[in-house]
Amino acid sequence: MPVAEGWVKCRVGGFSLEVDWHIEEGKVLVLFGPSGAGKTTTLRAIAGLVRPEEGRVELGGRVVYDSSAGVSVPVHGRQVGYLTQQYHLFPHLNVRENIAYGLSQRGQPKARSEVDRLSRMLRLDGLEDRRTWELSGGQQQRVALARALATNPQMLLLDEPFASLDAELRRVLRRELRAMLVESPIPVLLVTHDLEEALALGDSVQVIDGGRIVDQGEPLRILGQPGRGRVARLAGVENLLSMTVESRNPQDGTMVCGGGGMKLEVPLDAAPSRQDDAPDQMENILVGLRSSDIILALEEPKGTSARNRLAGTVASVELRPPGYEVTLDCGIPLKAQVTGAAMSELGIKPEQNLWAVFKASSCFLVQEETPPSRDTGAFP
Amino acid sequence: MMGTSFSRLKGLSSLSGGGLLGPAATVIYLLFIGLPVLALLIRAAQQESFFTGLLGGMALTALRLSLITSGISMIIILLVGTPFAYLLARNTSWMLRIVDSLIELPIVLPPVVAGVAMLMAFGRQGVLGPFLEALGIGLPFTTGAVVFAQIFVAAPFYIRSAKLGFQSVARDYEDISQTLGISPWKTFWRLTIPLAAPSVLTGFALAWARALSEFGATIMFAGNLMGTTQTMPLAIMTAMESSLDIALALSVLLLAGSVTILIGLGMASRPKWQNRL
Repeated sequence: MPVAEGWVKCRVGGFSLEVDWHIEEGKVLVLFGPSGAGKTTTLRAIAGLVRPEEGRVELGGRVVYDSSAGVSVPVHGRQVGYLTQQYHLFPHLNVRENIAYGLSQRGQPKARSEVDRLSRMLRLDGLEDRRTWELSGGQQQRVALARALATNPQMLLLDEPFASLDAELRRVLRRELRAMLVESPIPVLLVTHDLEEALALGDSVQVIDGGRIVDQGEPLRILGQPGRGRVARLAGVENLLSMTVESRNPQDGTMVCGGGGMKLEVPLDAAPSRQDDAPDQMENILVGLRSSDIILALEEPKGTSARNRLAGTVASVELRPPGYEVTLDCGIPLKAQVTGAAMSELGIKPEQNLWAVFKASSCFLVQEETPPSRDTGAFP
Repeated sequence: MMGTSFSRLKGLSSLSGGGLLGPAATVIYLLFIGLPVLALLIRAAQQESFFTGLLGGMALTALRLSLITSGISMIIILLVGTPFAYLLARNTSWMLRIVDSLIELPIVLPPVVAGVAMLMAFGRQGVLGPFLEALGIGLPFTTGAVVFAQIFVAAPFYIRSAKLGFQSVARDYEDISQTLGISPWKTFWRLTIPLAAPSVLTGFALAWARALSEFGATIMFAGNLMGTTQTMPLAIMTAMESSLDIALALSVLLLAGSVTILIGLGMASRPKWQNRL
């Protein structure tokens, strides 16, 4: 049963936004995109804080906004839980009063037990009489979540809820959010520009850019091996290599391409429409490769199934938690991610000769649909 | 009181590295303000018939009139000024920004000019005069005129302070409150007002003090009729011509009121969460 779905078209100044969503109960849809893409506006439109030009918003089977039917339930009647990045806990109230704020019968035994239940569930028991500013960032985040859950929301809107927390705390709170969704299965729309967060929390992902959904699907597929140039840059694909197709090998489902003096074996460009339409123009392709998919070796490995083995020189080594990023010059610079342990075992240092090894299937073709816009330079 | 000012002085001299200009200026200023206040109290205490003056008909009548008129003024200022201040705090259109800058005109305008202006508006020869006369309303030289004058000069103090208070409450708080199922009206009372309360109360106290001390506009527009328009400041001026007792008694009374408001403002110090907004 679909629990939250709809679509909106908004216009804010010169910016136009067009999004749709469909989220089952207890599932998390991640809206992934750069700042200014329209992520927050989408959440605010669903909550009723921004009035769309057109659209339809359905929550738990109830239509709360429908431009064609002239339906627009005010914000306080929509039953959505909205968490902002700064939490916005009410500073004149203590933790208990914050959680109970939206309960209709505050102070009554039923409301008290509800607050107690949420406090226990979100590990806030014992903190009920604290002032909000005496809490840690993670605790504040939990109070904001408890406050939203107390009103029995039909949908949760999370606007970068973990952005101001440190990495360790984020992981803990992500687990807790998951556990919470098992206990109270609510559809969740989570907005983030953090790749790790999108992969860790999303049951599905929609990539939004410039007010439009540019790709959607299963997070690991969409963000791990993105098929579109813009998404690849947003998802931080470390290696994007411009190459030319040299030969196709349909039996193996691979093809060989070259560029910058190196040859790669990559998956065949299977999309039939592309080959039918303009076989000649597809000779120039963009190959994506995650730095974590590259194995570094001191000597050329023999007897391996990995189809790509490239010799290169270490150009630079940079700290990139949780490991290091080694840039190998193989004619084209190739970025590989290695752990600290591997670094010391191999004794990797600049000017060293190394081999980069990776499977053909680790490579993916990236379709450059439009000329790169101005701000793409920020991404490798 | 003296103890704190002396410790402040020490702090000042150490800050200025031994320079004497700052401390000297402070002493001169404190004497300048303190002496007249002190003198008022001393002379009032020396006066044998101080309490007779206080309980005399003129003083009590003026006191009652001042409390009633300023009370009515403050109720009207609250009712009209609060939604107005909220609108100014939330709306940023250019028209409201112009209105915003004009709000404080009565603060800088000499009260006597305000009185003349009000006569020109509501007086018999004023712009609205014939219209009001047709309705049988004669505003000048009535208790209503006293209230008009007080609102005119006092309202900006409240509106300005309340507006700053509302501005300090980020709109996101109200948005969140509404997503929690609380209507905009209830959100205003349960969230915005408590969070803006310190500034709203400060504005209220300042406006009330200004209404109580109003003189120039009142005497111009409402006149000086005992029991009808003669508020305390007017009574003091009138009494000075005949009986120093009454003038002193009323002055001490107003001084006490002012000090009470000042202490009240200090006591209603900013709650801890004020800088967390």
